[in-house]
Amino acid sequence: MKTVFINCSPKKRFCASAYFLFLQSLFVGGKKVNEKLRTPADHSRILEQLKDAKAVVFCLPLYVDGVPSHVLRFMEEMEVYCLENHMELSVYCVANNGFIEGKQNEPLMQVFEHFCAHAGLVWGGGVGIGGGVMLNVTRILFVVDIALLALNTVLSVVNTGMFFNKEAWISFAENAALLLYFNLGVLFYLAGMGRAIGKGTYFGKKYTRILIPSFVFILFADIFFITASVLEGGIFRGWLKKKELEKA
Amino acid sequence: MKVIIHDLGPEYETLIEQKCGQAVAADGKYAPCQGCFGCWTKHPAECFMKDKLNQICRIIGHADELVIVTKNLYGEYSAQVKNILDRSIGTSTPFSTYRDRQMHHTLRYGKHDLWKVIVYGEISEAEKATMLYMAERNAVNDGYERSEVVFLDDLTELEAAL
Repeated sequence: MKTVFINCSPKKRFCASAYFLFLQSLFVGGKKVNEKLRTPADHSRILEQLKDAKAVVFCLPLYVDGVPSHVLRFMEEMEVYCLENHMELSVYCVANNGFIEGKQNEPLMQVFEHFCAHAGLVWGGGVGIGGGVMLNVTRILFVVDIALLALNTVLSVVNTGMFFNKEAWISFAENAALLLYFNLGVLFYLAGMGRAIGKGTYFGKKYTRILIPSFVFILFADIFFITASVLEGGIFRGWLKKKELEKA
Repeated sequence: MKVIIHDLGPEYETLIEQKCGQAVAADGKYAPCQGCFGCWTKHPAECFMKDKLNQICRIIGHADELVIVTKNLYGEYSAQVKNILDRSIGTSTPFSTYRDRQMHHTLRYGKHDLWKVIVYGEISEAEKATMLYMAERNAVNDGYERSEVVFLDDLTELEAAL
């Protein structure tokens, strides 16, 4: 059985969709093909991959409560292609948004369901994830956690001659457990959808989020954007002002 | 100010321009959003891409009434229209708040009045329900007091709907 995973983020690197695509692919067996959809130049290559696939998983961000426009263009072309080739394909979706509520992905899910009806495909359902950007950051924090463990181990060898540093391992385990906890809801539903993809069954629409309280999430989101705006200079260019149209 | 975004051909240009303060033709001659957040963090309310949507959020931001004329696409806006909406997130700021008991961004241009969608083309009852839901969500997200969706049987009904 072949499953095609499409990363639909327009970003070139470090996108949340790639992270969720990776997690979803862990729970799916058989032949797996990863594709990236950014421009119309990607369309024909991806459609060719779909020809002998049993399932396709769209991993995408929520844009203005719906599907990003470059993905809509692909879906229009895919509809024609699937009808012409009488394709039997199950469609699944992993959508993420920057707000904390995964439920905000509901309109996007409905659009995919209607797309399947038009293209003669089987709608398999999807997972809508809130706090996608912050969950994506947890993978960096995990790498930092590993780097700190390695550093502490080296220091321990240099200072005491002992390879095993108990305190460093406890600290590593605590941080890793916390990061895992943030991702638990996502992992639970992606595991379930992975089983559905394997069996070719309907999973339904499930919504989850990063497992932290909303007010903490909003605080961290604001800190993130303040930091980014200082580093990129926007904060000094009328950051929150009502900007007027500049005539060309 | 009333702003109309539409994906109709040039034959509708005069009618549209008579009905609003600013018309934006969704002709597809622009790039899709790259998701960089630069219109929040680098050059506020402006896109780094120097095409016709470079300052689209400054036009939409000043709308009291936003009217979107779109062909139905799976209960969504057409890709050309959605492209414009995707490029307009600079109408809000990067700061977060609660509206309608959910997280949203604070508004750069304050509250607006009406988010109105005029839909043409074949559409199923299920897609109509999605379009109504989508417009409602968009209105909350972008700080509009109310939303309205009109489904046209054909484009001869357009003038009355505008």
